[in-house]
Amino acid sequence: MSKTLTRRAITKGLALSAGALALPAIGRAQAKSVKIAMIAPMSGPWARQGQLLRMGAEILAEDVNSGGGIKALGGAKLEIIYADAGDSTEKAKNAAQRLLSDEPDLAGGTGCWLSSFTLAVTEVTERAQLPWITLSYSDAITNRGFKFVFQTSPTADRQAAQTLPTALTLAQDATGKRPTTIGIIMDNTASPVSFAKPLRDGGLDKLGLKLVVDQIFTPPLSDATPLIEKVRSAKPDFLLLLTSAMPDCKLVLEKLDEFKLSHGKVPLVGNGAPFGSPELLTTIGPELLEGLLFSVANWPMKGQEEFIERFKKKTGEPFLTQDALCGYGEPAILVQAIETAGSADRLKVGEAIRGMNLTTGRAAQCFPGPIKFDEKGRRVDVPMIFAQWQKGVPLTVYPTELALAKPFWPSV
Amino acid sequence: MTLSLPVKRQLWAILGFAVAVLALSAMLKSDYFELVLTQVLLWAMLSVAWNILCGYSGYFSFGHAAFWGLGAYTVALGMLHFDLSPWITIPAGAVVGGLAGALIGFPTFRLRGHYFALAMLAYPLATLYVFQWLGYQEIPLPMKREAPILYMQFANPRAYVVLALGLLVFSLLISLRIENSRFGMSLFAIKQNEPAAEAAGINTWRWKMLALMLSGALAAMAGGLYAVVLLVVTPEAVFGMLVSAQALILTLFGGVGTLWGPVIGAMVLVPLAEGLNAELGNVLPGIQGVVYGVAIIAIILSAPEGVYWRVRDRLGVWLSRRQTEPTVPPGVGSIPAVPREQRAPVGDDLLILRDVGISFGGVRALDGVDLTVPEGGLYGIIGPNGAGKTTLFNVINGFLAPQRGTISFAGEPLIGLRPSQVCRRGIGRTFQVVRAFPRMTVLENVIVGAFVGAPDDAAARRMAAVALDQVGLSARANAVAGGLTTRELRLMELARALAPQPRLMLLDETLAGLGHDDLDGILGAIRQLRADGVTVLIIEHTMQAMVQLVDHFDVLDHGRLIASGAPEAVVRDHAVIEAYLGKKWAQQVTEAAK
Repeated sequence: MSKTLTRRAITKGLALSAGALALPAIGRAQAKSVKIAMIAPMSGPWARQGQLLRMGAEILAEDVNSGGGIKALGGAKLEIIYADAGDSTEKAKNAAQRLLSDEPDLAGGTGCWLSSFTLAVTEVTERAQLPWITLSYSDAITNRGFKFVFQTSPTADRQAAQTLPTALTLAQDATGKRPTTIGIIMDNTASPVSFAKPLRDGGLDKLGLKLVVDQIFTPPLSDATPLIEKVRSAKPDFLLLLTSAMPDCKLVLEKLDEFKLSHGKVPLVGNGAPFGSPELLTTIGPELLEGLLFSVANWPMKGQEEFIERFKKKTGEPFLTQDALCGYGEPAILVQAIETAGSADRLKVGEAIRGMNLTTGRAAQCFPGPIKFDEKGRRVDVPMIFAQWQKGVPLTVYPTELALAKPFWPSV
Repeated sequence: MTLSLPVKRQLWAILGFAVAVLALSAMLKSDYFELVLTQVLLWAMLSVAWNILCGYSGYFSFGHAAFWGLGAYTVALGMLHFDLSPWITIPAGAVVGGLAGALIGFPTFRLRGHYFALAMLAYPLATLYVFQWLGYQEIPLPMKREAPILYMQFANPRAYVVLALGLLVFSLLISLRIENSRFGMSLFAIKQNEPAAEAAGINTWRWKMLALMLSGALAAMAGGLYAVVLLVVTPEAVFGMLVSAQALILTLFGGVGTLWGPVIGAMVLVPLAEGLNAELGNVLPGIQGVVYGVAIIAIILSAPEGVYWRVRDRLGVWLSRRQTEPTVPPGVGSIPAVPREQRAPVGDDLLILRDVGISFGGVRALDGVDLTVPEGGLYGIIGPNGAGKTTLFNVINGFLAPQRGTISFAGEPLIGLRPSQVCRRGIGRTFQVVRAFPRMTVLENVIVGAFVGAPDDAAARRMAAVALDQVGLSARANAVAGGLTTRELRLMELARALAPQPRLMLLDETLAGLGHDDLDGILGAIRQLRADGVTVLIIEHTMQAMVQLVDHFDVLDHGRLIASGAPEAVVRDHAVIEAYLGKKWAQQVTEAAK
């Protein structure tokens, strides 16, 4: 992203003044705006994630429009239509149906963060042949034989398959010793369950890991003591933490500290963007988080430094996260497809996405690996990202070529 | 039942509603509105199902999501694992829902009121976790491209409107059938006064259970179609609090315990909520919930039982005002007071109590009571406050089980029977504080009592009319019980107990709180009872009226029988005077006698 984004800083002023002086009338007259949709939970328990997605998308719309709009369509303005997915699958589906009715000329869409919402929404968009891009990573989303749904994140299965081998490699590189025992603490909500299933079904054996602590709880957790007592007596080489709600995560981390198991005595590995949320920092504090590693589908990487700074300045957020990054990157994929197709027709846009193989440009720089989808609509050759809390900021540490910091394996 | 319009008009109304919905659907230009209309119909159906249990019987459930969710999962899992079509699994879901209702009802109907409601809350929460634990966090219904119609996957959203409408009409017909039968009236009686219903011979357990099973089956069917429409099933979406709350809110809004209330609620609130989501959701996220909440609070404050009841109550007051004019009850005054000499001959012993005892904590409410009432007798039980008179009745009619002793009626033991079974054997009773069904008419109140002795609903109606005539309340047959005077209420309760033609009547302070003029009317009715061959056992503590009425006194004090015999003898009994007036007075009386 650095090329486009840093260059924009310079070219922005030029473009604006040039645009204002040189091609005013023609540009405006031709510019029928191009509409794409973003459906995300903007109210209810997941409102924060939806708002972050929206922040990213708003910056993208500004960038595109201040850069002269969509060039293939004569500088047409990009207009992103936002809809609230609310707190239930029913509301999310209604929002999709409503958008399709109200906005017949949508070129594509993106959302809805929570995979069950995405599942319901894409049942609508697929029938309308509307290209839909999502960061939700449930396997079911792209297992239905749909043609117009594209998943930017590695699916849950692949995340599960990649997380532990990578963690083991990181540990070996840092300490010279390969861990042999593991503990798992998880809640029983959708993503942890699907994440842990392949591990229990032989995945751990293949990695030569012995499961010495295996604790599943139903959120909300009232007391983490029994869980952590197990950890203390079994002393696993590291602990896989799969909690989806922050209060539970906080309880576990605080209890680990109380039992003198924090600060790397038992290295922690998590999965998913919530492990890198600013809220975690404000509730738990940098001390207890230091060294916590988590695998995640997308995280700010090398090359995005300028964008990260711009985002922080614009929104007042302490750091950029997956949600805002995808909020920017996913509509950017649609914009790129419209440019390539030279049309805002959904079928052509869908065709362009299927034929895409991007490694550079605004969209490509928002994601690790190339933007290239297989016949199911999953991205190919996507590396799993690892980020680690270092001095109060979760920084990408793996893969090395995208890393913003060097990883360390916390040890006694 | 005058709860609703006559059946025929209701059937026309349902037909009109269905035609209107179809016409609306045909006019709608967008798939979105068709989707919202489908949801309106589905939520209306859930609310109708909820209303069958909760509206009619008064047993509020905060947990109908359990049935809705089971229906949804029956469809989703049937399709996922067994490739079953929703055409099969939606009816199968009804079976699952009905069975779940039986399983839930069995332990939960031990509770009443708020406790029942709260216990119901637990079921969807528990099932939610069970389905999470089973690994059914997100079940998408597979897309069937080759046989869409076989799997209810229509390209035209209007098809779902038609399906949902079909199910809703089906539920409305069931609801209508319930309202106009013994089933509905029994539920309605349970709602207003469960002990009275039980004492009037209604097997409350059975009707409640049936209502819950039926309600569960219908809710599950609606949930099944919901899964087909939504295409994704998650535990939170189908077992969540929002679902249970929806059923409750829609019905409360529209009108609890009415045929159309749930439909009115759904037709107004579901589009309102969705409209707010659409208009405000992306501008001020979350504000839609606030507006929705405020709207509900406003409605509940102005019409606590829903729009329907508000209108009906206003109308009801107006109607009964018009009715009260010509109500000098004919017949009551004309019943001739039966002279003492003409007492009916006393036959074999009908009711026999031997050594009956019951204590509450350390208090012995009844202590070794022996009592015999012969067939055709008019026996009185007197005693000061707290003597155990009402407890004695409660023991006889099955509200309480005595800890020792035996009770037999016409040679059969009574202990261990439910009040409705005792009633079935021919024992009617009234209550110290009248237990009416205030929202029903006088006639309906009495019909509820007649069910136990009537082979069918028409016979019950006839028997009720006869009973009303017997007590002289025919002129008030169509008045709503809530608006009666104390005397009329007493007579109505008497008629209710009388309707199934019992052999024995237990009258609990039927004379209490009546003025002198009213008293004569009631006394006349009681004398008429025994003239008709009914055995009567009556509790009183005003002795004066009783001495003229009964042919035998049993006196209770502190749970013991202290005297028994002819009224004239008993009132002079030393122990009786002491019990009523204290030791000092008793001594004075004795000395004076000497």
